[in-house]
Amino acid sequence: MTAPEAADSAAVTTSQHRHHWIVRLTHWVNAVAVVVMVGSGLRIFNAYPAFARKGEPFCCYPFDGAIPRQLTFGGWLGGARNWHFAMMWVLALNGLVYLGFIYLHGEWRDLTPRRGDVRDAWEMIRFYLFVRPDHPRQGKHNALQKATYFLLPYLALAAILTGLAIWKPVQLSWLTWVFGGYTWARYWHFVVMSLIVLLSVVHVVMVFAVDPFSLRSMITGGYNEARSPEARNARPFFWRRPRVTTHKETKT
Amino acid sequence: MRRRDFLGGLGLSAAGGALSACNSSGPRGALALLRAIEHKNEGVERALFSTGHRDLVAPNEALTGDAFPRYWVSPQMPMWDPATRGAWKLEVGGAVKRPVSLSVDDLVAMRGTTQRHNHYCVEGWTARAEFTGVRVSELARLVEPAGDVGYVDFRSFDHEYHECWDLDSAMHDQTMVAYATDGHYLNAAQGAPARVHSPIKLGYKNTKYLTQVLFLPARTGGYWSDKGYEWYGGV
Repeated sequence: MTAPEAADSAAVTTSQHRHHWIVRLTHWVNAVAVVVMVGSGLRIFNAYPAFARKGEPFCCYPFDGAIPRQLTFGGWLGGARNWHFAMMWVLALNGLVYLGFIYLHGEWRDLTPRRGDVRDAWEMIRFYLFVRPDHPRQGKHNALQKATYFLLPYLALAAILTGLAIWKPVQLSWLTWVFGGYTWARYWHFVVMSLIVLLSVVHVVMVFAVDPFSLRSMITGGYNEARSPEARNARPFFWRRPRVTTHKETKT
Repeated sequence: MRRRDFLGGLGLSAAGGALSACNSSGPRGALALLRAIEHKNEGVERALFSTGHRDLVAPNEALTGDAFPRYWVSPQMPMWDPATRGAWKLEVGGAVKRPVSLSVDDLVAMRGTTQRHNHYCVEGWTARAEFTGVRVSELARLVEPAGDVGYVDFRSFDHEYHECWDLDSAMHDQTMVAYATDGHYLNAAQGAPARVHSPIKLGYKNTKYLTQVLFLPARTGGYWSDKGYEWYGGV
């Protein structure tokens, strides 16, 4: 146990082990795989940056023109396809290792929805909008984080299934049919990718804007609860460094 | 956060950024690895392949007609000139018992098929057309390939364009040498006098301006396959 040594001590540094090494490893492998998959996917999309079957209109994609080349990966269509069809195995197998681990090791309990999560998420939004003054109580993750991390594996599954549907529209025609045919399956693959990119960008921004201390926990595994967003009453871009007067590390 | 963690994070971000930045085609050393994985993928695709899996175009679905894109690799649109090259004939040969040369009339006289196909382009677009021609399996019945044949090379007079297929895909019920589309003979922009068409391979595998169908014991490459598109190219 540690105790404050000075009366004005705001926080006691107690480093705790937050993320198992398998979670940390799969997180960073996934980060690289997603970046390559999105970049090469956008390069593939650029070969025909539209969804309509030739000679037909398409209702639901208002944009015209290609994705900026700087956001793409693979150099040319063939190169991007080769990267895409190689990295898809890394993405899928890495995802299976992660899901298998959190299933066997119990971390899935940190992510599954519980009664009250919707209310907690609403309270987080109120806090972030300065309507509510104090940070809601939370466990390992706040309710918005939890919902995101819970949703992402399902989005990955949707990306894989829609991807298979447009990779093999004849040999897996039943799967393509489930998504409404080739044109729609390609569209859903793009929509799912967009959602994954959106959540990932918000995730990275929030790491730096709210809890940069969590970066360490995803590299070394260690995390100091005294510096948690809840302890610092941290909103995006609005938080102060905690005053730390004692420094004791304990391993748990 | 400790300084070394911050630096570690910076390093990872930089690595990710460098990997994705500037339209890069990735590290050179990765190309051999990508080739190896493409080969593994071909194994997966062959395992998924079944002659019973067919592409279906419902009778009420519109054909693409004139919006069907045309392309060739020669500087000008390839046209067979009988005055300089003699009458066009399709040579069906390779490792076979009875090689034959067939005129368009010969093809028309053979047992044929008319099918509506989707055309899946590697670029991501699709189009629909009706094709009339002779199944490659029917040509194989005619020439009787040797027992060790595993591949079919479709060669053309469009520059050096050709693409090689695995025998199973070539023998698929929807793989044909087409001489007509949408009820008329192919025109020069459509690959006349004859072309390969099948919905089970990506568009670039379907050689147009056809001159030779060669049954081979070993695989050859192809115009686009040699440039880096997948050799298998199956959908």
